[in-house]
Amino acid sequence: MSHTPPDTVPPEGALTGSALTGAPLVVQGALVEVRDLTWRPFGRREPVLAGISLRIEAGSRVLLAGPSGSGKSTLLRALAGVLATTETGDLTGSVLIDGSQSAGSSVGLMMQDPADALVAGRVGRDVAFGPESFGLPRDQIWSRVRSALTAVGFPYDEDHATKALSGGETQRLALAGVLALTPRLVLLDEPTSMLDPLAAGVVREAIVSAVRDSGATLVMVEHQLSDWVEEVDRLVVLDPAGRVSDDGPVATTLAMSAGSLAAQGVWVPGEPAPRPLDVARELCAPARPGGPTGRVLVSAESISVTRQPRASVMSANRPPTVVQALAGVDAEVRAGECLALVGPSGAGKSTLTTLLAGVGAPTQGLVRGRDELLAGIGANPPEAIHRWTSRALAARFGWVPQQAEQAVVGRTVRGDVLSTSRRLGLDDDAAQARVEGLLEVLGLSALSGVDPHCLSGGEQRRLALAGAIAHGPSVLVLDEPSVGQDRLTWSAVAGVVVAARDAGIGVVLATHDPLLIALADRRITLREGRIVDPAVDSVIESPPSPAPGAKPAMTAPAGLAGLAGRSGPLSLLLVSIVLVLGAPFIFNLRMALIAIGVQIALAPMVLGVGRPPWRRLLPGLFAVASVSFSNWLLSPGREVSTGALAGLRVAFFVVPGVLLASRIDPSELGDHLGQRLRLPARPIVATVAALYRFEGLGEHWDQLARIRRVRGLGPSRSPLGRGRSLAALTFGLLIETLRQAGRMAVAMEARGFSSAVTTAPRRTWAEPAPWRPGDSLMLALGLIVAGVPLLLSRL
Amino acid sequence: MTEPRNTKLSGQTAKASRTVRATALATRPLMGWRGVDLITAAMLAVAFGVVFWGFDTFIYPFLSAATTGFPPAGELMLGVWLVPAVAGALVIRRPGAALFTELVAANVELFLGNKWGAAVLLSGVLQGLGVELAMALFRHRRFGVVMAVLGGVLSAVFEIVLYEWQSYVAEYSSVWKAIYLGCGMVSGALIAGVGGWFLVRALARTGALNAFPPGQEVREPHSA
Repeated sequence: MSHTPPDTVPPEGALTGSALTGAPLVVQGALVEVRDLTWRPFGRREPVLAGISLRIEAGSRVLLAGPSGSGKSTLLRALAGVLATTETGDLTGSVLIDGSQSAGSSVGLMMQDPADALVAGRVGRDVAFGPESFGLPRDQIWSRVRSALTAVGFPYDEDHATKALSGGETQRLALAGVLALTPRLVLLDEPTSMLDPLAAGVVREAIVSAVRDSGATLVMVEHQLSDWVEEVDRLVVLDPAGRVSDDGPVATTLAMSAGSLAAQGVWVPGEPAPRPLDVARELCAPARPGGPTGRVLVSAESISVTRQPRASVMSANRPPTVVQALAGVDAEVRAGECLALVGPSGAGKSTLTTLLAGVGAPTQGLVRGRDELLAGIGANPPEAIHRWTSRALAARFGWVPQQAEQAVVGRTVRGDVLSTSRRLGLDDDAAQARVEGLLEVLGLSALSGVDPHCLSGGEQRRLALAGAIAHGPSVLVLDEPSVGQDRLTWSAVAGVVVAARDAGIGVVLATHDPLLIALADRRITLREGRIVDPAVDSVIESPPSPAPGAKPAMTAPAGLAGLAGRSGPLSLLLVSIVLVLGAPFIFNLRMALIAIGVQIALAPMVLGVGRPPWRRLLPGLFAVASVSFSNWLLSPGREVSTGALAGLRVAFFVVPGVLLASRIDPSELGDHLGQRLRLPARPIVATVAALYRFEGLGEHWDQLARIRRVRGLGPSRSPLGRGRSLAALTFGLLIETLRQAGRMAVAMEARGFSSAVTTAPRRTWAEPAPWRPGDSLMLALGLIVAGVPLLLSRL
Repeated sequence: MTEPRNTKLSGQTAKASRTVRATALATRPLMGWRGVDLITAAMLAVAFGVVFWGFDTFIYPFLSAATTGFPPAGELMLGVWLVPAVAGALVIRRPGAALFTELVAANVELFLGNKWGAAVLLSGVLQGLGVELAMALFRHRRFGVVMAVLGGVLSAVFEIVLYEWQSYVAEYSSVWKAIYLGCGMVSGALIAGVGGWFLVRALARTGALNAFPPGQEVREPHSA
């Protein structure tokens, strides 16, 4: 999130290019009838939805509002028919779409986090997912894709990489994916809540115009009512018990229930902004004196950060793109002051917070802890704070990451908040008292014995804040601390920020929230990784249009020659596998040398001429060496030739296998397995979609490691400590994985992932999977090479 | 009601679990994989791919140094690579769950670049089949720690006897091959079996498995 390109408004005329036109997707809106709908998930005593009855006329636009936990999202999922996808429970009542119980392709659901809907590497293929699921023929799929991309005003063509999109662009892509189903009912679950204000505006416009043009019925959930009241014609309010408490035209309903909604925490237009809560300063005081107000605690001196993309399963042949996240930035954190980092998404705010919290390292420049911070750290501490030990860092810093739901380090809410104090050996009674106070302020007291993973997103963010400040750090770095908070919890969060500042802590806030920015003493405005003058910056409200040629499209790898470069994924995979099966027939050194000689002779023709990719080959060569050694050591006669034979036998399939596999594109392989081998489509599609998450999960892993480090729980040097750390990271990663899988499943099911199993025709594939003459030649060569040992043994 | 596609109404899940002691089972038909089953199994496998990569950087340097002198000891780590199969089986509880999860995990290694080439796919199939056999022996009705341990052991046996004996350790003397197999079985039982079982139970307690039978065992223990 921190290093995505900034959101862009499509330049005028950008959408009239021939590639992006298609017939408009016009439908008749659906009539929705909900009758006495009740839903109680297992494990809960009270139902989330309690006897909901609603009639939504065809073509109307409805806004669903209510306090946190009132079942808004649940009702939306029920309308989409995906309620039981990720939860089990008791369900009664009925939902009828145009009088029919099966929703099918007539309902489209768009979710809160744009990343949840991504299933493919290229834009066109991602939008095609729904039409593919419902078995449309290929030409219709692509005309739907073009129409849907036009409808949302998408600025790039179908070959654009989904990885290179910003949050706002990804959300518009998700909307296109919904529209490609030509739904008669469009359901939107907080579609702009994860976006910065600029991107949110663009997405909102895309939604409003696309839905109006299509004529579909619209039901949406939003926290921030003010942005939407103009665009809808009916407001339905749910109460905390999961019942409809108010229902009617927007203006009258709002006039009637604005007061009670605001009192329940809903952001209602026209109500005065909430104030920070009065929080006792002792709860937020630093454990070590930070010096007088304004004294510099941390200074970042002309820091730059460039990022190499991490290892990926999907980028075997693609040149790595280097991202400049920060360039020559200076910043100071001062005691008793609140510094706000502002700027559009992708400007480098999050990156800067990781550096100021000592959990990220600059590529160039230095982030130093100043005199007051260094007291008690021991002789000759490293200058750069990112080199400090986990404990030294934890004693002085608190950090709430942007993905605060990942910040869990304890088994209960109380234990989580206490963990850093305990690790640092603070007085336990005092620490406990302070933790209880913080939980009370942040509205988490009732949950103090609960597993933190069971909390809602907003609660987890407040938990992360409590955990970051409970041990009394001198510097508190917060990345978007107010996201997902209602009016009441916003006051609590802002109250803690103000109290911490007043108690002498140096506070850093990266945020889009104007109310929070207003509380800051100083401000740094970032744009594209550089500090800009806010006076100038405020003029540039419309961001630059994307530079032509700067589009990171997924192009075919250049410079690959040889038969393998012209072969499809299936023949490459088959050849790799037959070589494995041929290896056991190598019985002696002479056979091994001949077989490998044949491979070497064929290599230039098959692989092309060029430098071998040593980095990929190295682990395999190491494996060959270790097999040779151990077989020599543990064989009966300890002959050198025995070890060599064992090694060469493995080399026979490892070296070509590694080289050929590096040229397989997993997503193309999926297309081939489904169309050529007629393997079941759903497991293949699920696997390809999951493989695209590899990089994201890897980043998540890094993030978990950072969180543990700043909480004082970083790995110790011993193997045992490392093992414990590894176990904790694994557990955290798996929990996030399962949650992500659940949201993915909802998004994919809403686009018909499983429909082919019940009703629709077989899944179709948007792209062909050709078997070319080169593939036959490749396979023939592979069979011959794999057969060499067998042949030799018969001679 | 808009019936959730390809799933039975979940109320029936609870009833099914009541009849079978403490084990909650997947919705029937057993081969009727829900979309969330497939996606979760695939995602778990990909996540294990990330973990293995972390394992290589965190731990493996220590272990490979320790095992150079006594190579079969390296096989004491085999269980780590078998965890996806056991975890997939314990979470999804359908025939094919172990095979699918382990095979996707093997694919991650293949595409990421690994040291065994396409042989990881063969390993993946064999390891998955070992756990499948264990599930089938309990008629897909018991998913306790005993099944998990048996799955881990059979998975190691399949992998070593059918594959590693023919390739990586083909020239070992018979005694050393037996020791090698023993190390692998112990590892499969402890790391993959017991470890995998504890892992799934711990995950269920966080609510992350609410859509699956283990989550149900935790949330509605009285009905189970």
